[in-house]
Amino acid sequence: MPHHMPAMNTTVIGRLNPITKIVAVFSLGLSALAWPDFTLGLIVVALLFVVSFMAHIQKDFAKIMFGFGIPVTVMLMFIQGMYSPKNKTVLLDLGFSQLCLEGVLYAAKVVVSLLVFLGSFYIMNKTTYVGSMVAALTAVGLNAKVGYLVLASLNVVPQMQRRMAVIQEAQSARGLDATGGMLSRIKAYIPLLGPVVLSSLTDAQERGMTLETRGFGITGVRQTSYVKVDWNTMDTVANWVLGIVLLAVVVVSILMRIGVIPMLITWGGV
Amino acid sequence: MSAIVHVEDFSFKYRDTKRRAVKHVSFDVEEGSCFAIIGANGSGKSTLCNALVGLIPHYFVGARAGRILIDGVDVAESTIAELSNTIGLVFQNPFNQLSYTAGTVAEELAYGLGNHGVARELMIERVEAVAKLMRIDHILDKNPLELSGGQVQRVAFGSTFIMEPRVLVLDECTTQLDPLGASEIFDIVKQLNADGVTVIMVDHDMERVAQYADTVMVLDRGSVAAIGAPYEVFADPELESHGVQPPDYVPLTRALGLPIEIREEPTIAAVKEVLA
Repeated sequence: MPHHMPAMNTTVIGRLNPITKIVAVFSLGLSALAWPDFTLGLIVVALLFVVSFMAHIQKDFAKIMFGFGIPVTVMLMFIQGMYSPKNKTVLLDLGFSQLCLEGVLYAAKVVVSLLVFLGSFYIMNKTTYVGSMVAALTAVGLNAKVGYLVLASLNVVPQMQRRMAVIQEAQSARGLDATGGMLSRIKAYIPLLGPVVLSSLTDAQERGMTLETRGFGITGVRQTSYVKVDWNTMDTVANWVLGIVLLAVVVVSILMRIGVIPMLITWGGV
Repeated sequence: MSAIVHVEDFSFKYRDTKRRAVKHVSFDVEEGSCFAIIGANGSGKSTLCNALVGLIPHYFVGARAGRILIDGVDVAESTIAELSNTIGLVFQNPFNQLSYTAGTVAEELAYGLGNHGVARELMIERVEAVAKLMRIDHILDKNPLELSGGQVQRVAFGSTFIMEPRVLVLDECTTQLDPLGASEIFDIVKQLNADGVTVIMVDHDMERVAQYADTVMVLDRGSVAAIGAPYEVFADPELESHGVQPPDYVPLTRALGLPIEIREEPTIAAVKEVLA
């Protein structure tokens, strides 16, 4: 029973241990990279859409994947398709240049590999409370100071935004106009930068003092966490499966590259 | 009773400043007592608080002389983290007392316990107990960055108190609270003090100091100007020359030609008697 935790993703994906999700990101991403062409990456991307449905984040996931995937695919396909040194088979003659199959397929391989990393990382990020992530990493030996850096870095942005709002209010009360067109808004923000940066540095000093007085950096003690992180049978199974998949993909890829196993699909290989 | 805090001829000058922030300060704080440090702005109160918890010399660099013992341990030879088992400090600015690592108030309260390796089950028990005491049990699920100033001050106080220090240093710890909220906090302080926790408070509210402190020390430009029981210190006609206004009851009873009072109830009774 979680005690006073923030609202968390309670789906089967959300309940997985954060370590399992990290393993998934690397296992799937490296598998897509290792495979000689884009086919495996494409299958993983399709599977990630299924996972996003299971995690109830399909809308946001689709936005990210298409928002990143479409422009990058178009850009890379044209660059690689027209200018890759491997280009041989002409697909389309544009007059000023020719779009070739080899470059297009290579671009597809790069894009799906990027999408596998991006998609799996996004699902991990959206379904994992960062406190659980750090607690899980600390439990497996991550230095508590590194854990602090991760958490504090994520929290520093809202803190600076709040400080900026306070300083802006104070300056607006004394006549600073922060409304109007883009240029006048940019001009209005310039006087905020000095106070925001300087006061953040002062805060950092005082926060350092606070952390020390709350036992941060104490030696000879194994740190504990209020956040409970479970390891279930599902995690054990998932980690074994992900590990075996990565191993199998790497072995098969090597055998395909050295010619022991014939490549069924030879296009797009790198 | 024995002295749990022993300060002996302590002086400190911050690096890059011309004058010493505190000069030849000596005093003892008896275990279980409430000790108040008062003085004008810049008199060295916060510097002394920082020195008591080990931030001087471990965090602030400068020229130091004399020594401070907390429960017999020289702060210069210990670490701030180790000292935090015995002595806790509640800072003036509660927002800077947040760890910025917690997603909820409960996690924020438990942060120090985690650093000391306290088991999770015990952590939960202490968080629940302290939250109830600080009257923040209804906001345990909230993000600490979304709280009001007064709520953050309660969280800051709770996050220090949860470590169960034997000495609690309160450096103007109620600045963000309304009078009722401040009064509630000091009721808790009074209870902790009654339970044996030694309290060292820095405050500008002289009525409050007169109400809670067993001993009052006046700092003036880094030096001890006066030290003694609240009545002795506040009845001193020279007090204002050290930049400290005595409680309102002192000039009131003095003007009426009555025996000087430093607390509300006896003053009211005396004034009623005169008016009758």
